[in-house]
Amino acid sequence: MKIRLWVLYLLLIPCLNFGIPNAHCESPKSEIRNPKSKIPKDEAVKLFADANENYLQAMKLIASKNTAEADQHLREATVQYEAILAGGFKNGQVYYNLGNTYYRRGELGKAIVNYRRAARFMPRNADLNANLRLVKGVTEDKELSTEIPVVVKRIFFWLFLLNRNELSIVAVSLYVALMIVLFVSNIRKYAWFRRVFIGFSSALFVAVVSLGIKIYLEQGVSRGVIVTSKCEVRYGPGEEYEPKFEIHNGSECLIEGEKDDWYRVYVKVGVKQDKGSDASPGEKISSDVRRGWLQKKYVDMM
Amino acid sequence: MMRVYNVYFCMVISAMIFFGCMGKIFARDIRLTATVDQNILTLQDRLELTLTIHGTQDTAHPSFPTIEGFTLLYGPSISAQTRIINGEVAVSKAYTYALQPTAKGKFTIGPSVVEYKGEKYSSQPLSVEVVDAPRQSASQAPNLEKLVFVELSVDKNEAYVYEQVILSFTFYFQKGLPVGDIDYDAPSTKNFMEEKLGDQRQYEEIRDGIIYNVLELRTALFPMVSGELTVSPAKVKCNLIVQQRRGRNAPSDSLFGDAFFDDFFGRDQKRYPVERATESITLRVKPLPEQGKPKEFKGAVGTFNMEVSTQAQRVKVGDPITLSMSVYGEGNIQTIHEPVLAVDKESDFKLYPAESNTQITSREDVIRGRKVFSKVIEPQKPELKFTPAIVFSFFDPRAGQYKTITKEPIPITVEAGEHEVPIQLTLSHDKTLPMKQQVQLLTEDILPIMTNLSALRNQGNDIYRNPFIIGCLFLPAVAVIASFLLSRHKERLASDIGYARARRAHAVAKKRLEGARTVLRQNQPGEFYACLSRAMSDYLADKFNVTPASATEDKVADLLKQRGVGDDIRGEVSRLLTDFDHRRFSQESGTLDEMEHALKLAEELITKMERQLS
Repeated sequence: MKIRLWVLYLLLIPCLNFGIPNAHCESPKSEIRNPKSKIPKDEAVKLFADANENYLQAMKLIASKNTAEADQHLREATVQYEAILAGGFKNGQVYYNLGNTYYRRGELGKAIVNYRRAARFMPRNADLNANLRLVKGVTEDKELSTEIPVVVKRIFFWLFLLNRNELSIVAVSLYVALMIVLFVSNIRKYAWFRRVFIGFSSALFVAVVSLGIKIYLEQGVSRGVIVTSKCEVRYGPGEEYEPKFEIHNGSECLIEGEKDDWYRVYVKVGVKQDKGSDASPGEKISSDVRRGWLQKKYVDMM
Repeated sequence: MMRVYNVYFCMVISAMIFFGCMGKIFARDIRLTATVDQNILTLQDRLELTLTIHGTQDTAHPSFPTIEGFTLLYGPSISAQTRIINGEVAVSKAYTYALQPTAKGKFTIGPSVVEYKGEKYSSQPLSVEVVDAPRQSASQAPNLEKLVFVELSVDKNEAYVYEQVILSFTFYFQKGLPVGDIDYDAPSTKNFMEEKLGDQRQYEEIRDGIIYNVLELRTALFPMVSGELTVSPAKVKCNLIVQQRRGRNAPSDSLFGDAFFDDFFGRDQKRYPVERATESITLRVKPLPEQGKPKEFKGAVGTFNMEVSTQAQRVKVGDPITLSMSVYGEGNIQTIHEPVLAVDKESDFKLYPAESNTQITSREDVIRGRKVFSKVIEPQKPELKFTPAIVFSFFDPRAGQYKTITKEPIPITVEAGEHEVPIQLTLSHDKTLPMKQQVQLLTEDILPIMTNLSALRNQGNDIYRNPFIIGCLFLPAVAVIASFLLSRHKERLASDIGYARARRAHAVAKKRLEGARTVLRQNQPGEFYACLSRAMSDYLADKFNVTPASATEDKVADLLKQRGVGDDIRGEVSRLLTDFDHRRFSQESGTLDEMEHALKLAEELITKMERQLS
């Protein structure tokens, strides 16, 4: 009886997959939800190569202290990377390079947004993680952000090491393998098929649940990054409300709701070390959760 | 013996001191009040007038007030009361009179007077109205309009933005009225920040000569925007619980019919639901004036003071000094902003953002609290002698003007720090340095861009959204279902003879009919009809899983009927079987055309039966 229920569940998996794309919350849409590419790959490759060339030129100019011209090249690189993405061609490398370009231009918030977007496509990329850590380290608000504990990352490693498509491939592969096992078990009766079946079906269950969690975390939860130097968070959605506190470029926030041109945000802010200890000034020691309203124009959605 | 007297003497002295003090306590705040149980009554009602002397119990009787339109039925009945609440003793003595109205109209109960220690105390006059309306019958709900009512009030009708406004909700019910199940629905305070004030207050209040028990809930409101702001009505629901004694010999549950059990389990209580709502309140909220607004003002409204302190007063250049700035007072503590440091030159001190700690110290009458800012500053020059002056501005709504508190600089001693080694941006080749010091972190920078064109593909297409892939996911499922059904079919064919025979019956019958066709071509009528008869009977035997010998005409008809086959087919089967047997053994085999026709009929009939029996 149990085996039959399992089989029924497995046969329903394709139907479940249909439901996943609709599982978005009503909060603001993430920037990278536009899978239809409007520009051909050749054009994207050309733009990418040109943008890279501009960036490298800018690096040389920075080294020779010609900042004005370097800035011009960086601007051009930014426009080219943005054009690739605006054309619906989403790629982790493009986001990463765009993040680097924004960092060079001193726009920490936009750099963090693009690194975070790149991380969705390249979760195992060490360069990306290093850059993100470095940029987060120079932001004014020392936040303890929403980083997940290392223990959890180790236990559920597949959830953090695989991107959405890779998890999908794992789930589909397990599904096909399981179907083959079921097919063969209908023709040939071997006792050990039962164990293989339970193993595969459990793995498939974990893979599908992980995929659902991944999609929810990336699309169901709206996160944003402050992209202005200083942003006043107010008690209510309007200029008439008094400022509650300030957050700065690069701070990450959770969007809880919106009203007109305002987001209701949830910010986790770290508290700096102040005195009398061995820790260096500015070292984060605890966190404080604050809520308030800020204008949409100051936030870039991840 | 002497010792016993000493103890006795001490006790007497203690008692004298105690009662002396008590007398003093009691003697304070002497007053005389007059109350009635109702102030509108009919000629059939009785009025209960109570004269209460508060603060003492050893007075003469208060004088009976002049009352027109009433006669004294009996009284006074005297009761004395001593209450100790929070260590305070309250004594009172009540004189209760029962009065009978003699005429309709409005009457005034004059003041009563009592004399105590040479001073005269008098009660307030009361108004009572006698009407001729018939009293409601006992079966009807009591008139609760005057017995229970609610009020919502604010301590001011005009306020500034962020000024503290006290909202009071008061629930009145006549003393002695059994009220229970109180459910309070707080008013909506949109556009206000709110802080609860203290615990619920309970006290007694006399209104129109009637004593009410009062429950009061208070909230501090801080309007966040200017304009006409409305506080919606507050509501309260409660039940008036009236005890109704049942008859002594109630027929049911005689075991538990005792009054004790009735009281204990709350039986025979009638509950009258009462719902009351207050009026809404409109508050005019004024914006803070622009005139005279100091540049240090950042939104604090209330009455505040400030204390500043620091622990370290002797430091080296670059060492941290923590300034503790405590702003306290009445108002919205949450919105108190950080005081401003008046630094002469920006290069004198390095300033770090302040941490704050908010604490509400009192919620009794108004919100009072304290917000402590801990700000770290680092002196950058050894010649600095003072910390910066600290300035805090706020708007005082009582005075209607901005106020600024300035705390004078605190003297400090700054010593020169150790010589600072300049940062080396190149690796040192100084051989005198130990090896481990040669590895230095020069700078931190981001890693370079990625330029792998072969890996540049559109990753935005989610696999799980691809309709083709989702469609393909159904194929393995279909294959599994098909293999499962096929496997089950094979198993059944192998294990279930009836199923196997039924499945194969049509094919076997067709084969036999082909054989009959061959015999027909050889023009062997007897053999032909034998083949037809056998094909028909074997088909039916296979379909019904019976032996061919037992597939007689009657049995076949019964089985066909059980399977719901129509009368026409059953009749046809019976007719053909009879006809084939007849021709098989007789000389009337018929012409070749008739035989062809018989073959065709047999084929059609088997096809029809197959359709119906499948």
